[in-house]
Amino acid sequence: MAGDADIDFLGLTQELEVQELEAPGGVATPQLYGQLLALYLLQNDLCNAKFLWKRIPQNIKTANPELSTIWVVGQRMWLRDLPGVYEALKKEWSEAVKPIMMALRDSVHKKAFNLVRLGYSSISVEDFSLFVGLSTSDAKQAALQDGWMLDSQSRFLTPKKLESVITASLPSEQHLSILTDYVSFLEN
Amino acid sequence: MAAALEQYVTTVQTLSSQGNFTALVEFISKNMEMLGKNAPHLDNVLATLDYQQHSIGVMGILVMKLNQQSIPDFETLFVQIQEFITSCNGEQARYALESFAELCHKFTLQIVERKQPARGLSILVRAIQKIQLHPAQLTSIHSDLCQLCLLSKNLKPALQFLDVDITDISREGGHYDAKDFLLYFYYGGMIYTALKIYTRALYFFEMASSTFLFAVTTPSMAVSHIMMEAYKKFILVALIVQGKIPSLPKYAPQIVARYIKPLCQAYHDLANAYATNNPAEVRAAVTKHSETFTRDNNMGLVKQCVTSMFKKNIQRLTKTFLTLSLADMANRVQLSGPVEAEKYVLHMINDGEIFATINQKDGMVRFHDNPEKYNSSSMLLDLDREMQKCIKMDEKLREMDREIAVNPQYVQKVSGIHDEDMPASSSSKGQSF
Repeated sequence: MAGDADIDFLGLTQELEVQELEAPGGVATPQLYGQLLALYLLQNDLCNAKFLWKRIPQNIKTANPELSTIWVVGQRMWLRDLPGVYEALKKEWSEAVKPIMMALRDSVHKKAFNLVRLGYSSISVEDFSLFVGLSTSDAKQAALQDGWMLDSQSRFLTPKKLESVITASLPSEQHLSILTDYVSFLEN
Repeated sequence: MAAALEQYVTTVQTLSSQGNFTALVEFISKNMEMLGKNAPHLDNVLATLDYQQHSIGVMGILVMKLNQQSIPDFETLFVQIQEFITSCNGEQARYALESFAELCHKFTLQIVERKQPARGLSILVRAIQKIQLHPAQLTSIHSDLCQLCLLSKNLKPALQFLDVDITDISREGGHYDAKDFLLYFYYGGMIYTALKIYTRALYFFEMASSTFLFAVTTPSMAVSHIMMEAYKKFILVALIVQGKIPSLPKYAPQIVARYIKPLCQAYHDLANAYATNNPAEVRAAVTKHSETFTRDNNMGLVKQCVTSMFKKNIQRLTKTFLTLSLADMANRVQLSGPVEAEKYVLHMINDGEIFATINQKDGMVRFHDNPEKYNSSSMLLDLDREMQKCIKMDEKLREMDREIAVNPQYVQKVSGIHDEDMPASSSSKGQSF
């Protein structure tokens, strides 16, 4: 499955969770633990990641140092230390977890980008580059491509706000029938 | 094989094939002692019975095996129980709910003692599904599962049950232990707290600390301890979620006010300090009672209370100001400086707790109104979901009301045929909470 870009991560998570429960003696394989840990991080489900880390038997952790390397990423995420997350992600991952960790990096990057867009009306280029895990020049480039403004001393970026998306509304007959149901419920 | 055991097998086989399960349950309860005396031969008996067809007979033997003083070969028994729970006939098991529950309780106990809680998870999940009549029914096995989840630090298996609101309680041998009920809500609250699903956790702790159980008007030690620990966590989670202690519902039993509250002084001190919105006072309260909090294993939650107070204070600022400098904000909520203030605001924006934008150039924060205009179709869907829930609950209430209205004991009581000599209500008490 490695190398496949469109992995069903959610389905894989559920599958691994069941496998862990059915594992003989309640102890699963190191590969399963690694993948599940990485998947929880990808879903930003830090609580479950933390408990998974806590329940992995000590001897498996010692024999498989990669598990600790994955969990370092989780710790940085828990502390919301974004530069630390990017730093911790810069590792050579084994085939089993590589696609998940790559997806994790993308998702952290994308979320940070959106957070800055949402939370700042101006931000220094240095801080922004730390948030998105790019060098200052690359970060500037990425921001400008997205239509952000750079001030004259090129120190502060002004993020471009997203227009709120107008979603299609329900067809009016359906709408009306739902409302009829409610009124008849409320009047009884 | 002894003659008595041979007779056991024949009776089980005949009664099972006749479908006369009530008689079979009775027969087995009478023969438990005999089974105990023949403990070494029980495996031979098991081999002659079919797990699916003779579920009740197999269950009797497994319960007996679990009841032994020391279990010689636990691994074999584990496999036998696993196979039984997987393949037993749910309909037969419901004839002997009491033994089925006992089997699960004893099994849980063994697994906990052997420090292998993870091995029991999938078995108990299956066990609950086997005997539940519908997903909203609470069984006494629920609390066992929650306990194993907490011990094995694997919380997800319990969520599929916890997420369903309970409307019905399984009657196991005509009674349901108040302890199992309270433990379910206490453990459930801990699971939700661990996953930081605080509003749901609050509801569970409220249930565990204030449910009016007729059975506990004279509470046993264990029960009142569960209620007290639940009440402590209830206070802490309430501070995190709401910033204050909500008053307990009117139906909360008197023992909470009379015995439990005075024993939780440290927690009330913390809540009072919290109400002043002054970080210094809260820190003082935490320091003063840190020993109690640590002893109760609640220090982690206490620390989160402190963080939540800073957030509540920042949220309060949004009501007064439109823009505020980060330095000013740090000053007002007593944070170390603009950098820490910026961090708090950013985290809160990320979590959707406030609506604001930070301007690093001027060092200012600008607060916004909630951008939700309540005119989108997704909001309509949310509303729809909530309405559906209300409609379902209304139906359920009517149904329960009807059930009570036709209950003979209830009718007798309200129609005024009230004989003072006859303790008419005592039998109904245990069932109505």
